[in-house]
Amino acid sequence: MVPPVAVSPLIKTARWSALLLGVLYGKQRFDYLKPIAEEEKRVEEAEKIKVEQERIIKQLAEANSESILK
Amino acid sequence: MAQAVQKLVAKVPSLLSAAVTYSKPRLATFWYYARVELVPPSPAEIPKAIEGASTLIKSFQSGRLGQITVKDAVRNGLVATEVLMWFYIGECIGKGGIIGYDV
Repeated sequence: MVPPVAVSPLIKTARWSALLLGVLYGKQRFDYLKPIAEEEKRVEEAEKIKVEQERIIKQLAEANSESILK
Repeated sequence: MAQAVQKLVAKVPSLLSAAVTYSKPRLATFWYYARVELVPPSPAEIPKAIEGASTLIKSFQSGRLGQITVKDAVRNGLVATEVLMWFYIGECIGKGGIIGYDV
């Protein structure tokens, strides 16, 4: 087996500090995106309910309307 | 269906032991190299790293860039890419998932 190579300290510090920075960045971005996504989900739910109710109202209106076409 | 599940469940311990015997020597080689190459820098090595970084910057400024061979340049580029990839691995750890943010 090839003996393990001695890695230069610059590369070692760069790697592990990049790892640390990545963890911090990921956590920060997640915390930033989470409330935005929840807000969007809430708005979408409200929209869906509104559309559903309008559909029901339209169906009822059609059922109740009188016309000679029936 | 139930019989097939039972047979599978009965095979699990032997599968597990086979997996362990397969992975043990490979884990050993991994540790053999990782203990020397992948350890985080000890506090004594950090000033050496800063020194290395300043040498690098000085060599950029003195125009020694034109003197490196293509082979050396490609090797350095690969090392730099590997360091960048550690950042993305850190981001995956920080956001708690591999693909995308789980919001």
